[in-house]
Amino acid sequence: MTITKAKRETGLLTAEDLLRLYSEGVRGELVRGVFCETMSSGQDHGEIAAQIVYLLGMFVKPRRLGRIMASDAGVLLEREPDTVREPDVAFFRADKHPPGARVRGYAEAIPDLVVEIASPNDSAREVEDKARMWLSFGVRLVWVAYPDTRSVVAHPLGGEARALGAEDALDGGDVLPGFSCRVGDVFDVF
Amino acid sequence: MTIAKAKRETGLLTAKDLLRLYSEGVRGELVRGALCETMPSGREHGRIAAQLGYMLVDFIRPRRLGWVMGTDAGVWLERDPDTVREPDVAFFAASNYPAEPGAPGYAEAIPDLVVEIASPNDSAREVEDKARMWLSFGVRLAWVAYPDTRSVVAHPLGGEARALGAEDTLDGGDVLPGFSCRVGDVFDVF
Repeated sequence: MTITKAKRETGLLTAEDLLRLYSEGVRGELVRGVFCETMSSGQDHGEIAAQIVYLLGMFVKPRRLGRIMASDAGVLLEREPDTVREPDVAFFRADKHPPGARVRGYAEAIPDLVVEIASPNDSAREVEDKARMWLSFGVRLVWVAYPDTRSVVAHPLGGEARALGAEDALDGGDVLPGFSCRVGDVFDVF
Repeated sequence: MTIAKAKRETGLLTAKDLLRLYSEGVRGELVRGALCETMPSGREHGRIAAQLGYMLVDFIRPRRLGWVMGTDAGVWLERDPDTVREPDVAFFAASNYPAEPGAPGYAEAIPDLVVEIASPNDSAREVEDKARMWLSFGVRLAWVAYPDTRSVVAHPLGGEARALGAEDTLDGGDVLPGFSCRVGDVFDVF
């Protein structure tokens, strides 16, 4: 099924169309039924995403606090028309997605924490707007990681954003109480 | 003052720098201290902005409810680092912004209503993320107007977005109780 074919019936794509298209090699997000292409990110982006998953995983897994989802997995945010967006990394508390239950298709819960990693191609505007899009859907904490400046901007829902430098502590706030690491650790891959 | 010179001291631009740069012909928004250029929009965009501005002013002015701001005027959303963004049209309730509109510089209050008009160059992703950025700063209602489909998506803060077609009614909700028009009127020239 091509994109044109999926759109022909209703004028808009659904999450089910997107999932089918994915299996045919099409990569993108859905914004209120409109398909928006996504591009493969670079090595740096992937390494930092992996590092964040590792740092979060070391804290979350032994405590069975919830699930961590990595790059390219979609979150279904709205229906009719459907919105499916891709966080670079997301954490869902255990009560949203019970451990052990396998989730087929897209996640249908709002993540508790989302991490976005700025790519050299993203303008600050795009990545900060995406962070605030997550907040508007009820994500409780969003981190935007800027590899170029080795800094992270923490956006707590309903609070003020804070910029953190490499030597500052990145903490999990109310979302992951007790989690803390050096901001620099996010970017140091060795 | 060039952009490079303004940045040299702190690494980031401030709202003051942006205002100075504006007088030198630089056009852009500031996102946490980073300058993001903006481009002049097309004729259709300007016409619809004026049309919506007119409809809002027509309702607001006799009732002294507040004031309406048109394209290109900045709203100062965050400080240290500074964020100054440009809504296509914004309404500030008198209670929220009692200051005389004659004051220089950027608006330093959160608008109650923001309208964004999708340009042929905007992806749905960019314009919807921008709308949700406004909500995350506390804007109570954001309308996204899509000239191509003669439709408006209404995003109430904390509520579900609703897509409205040309024959539907666009109403002011809690923000402008009593305001109402046909969605098509937003796009019709005569």
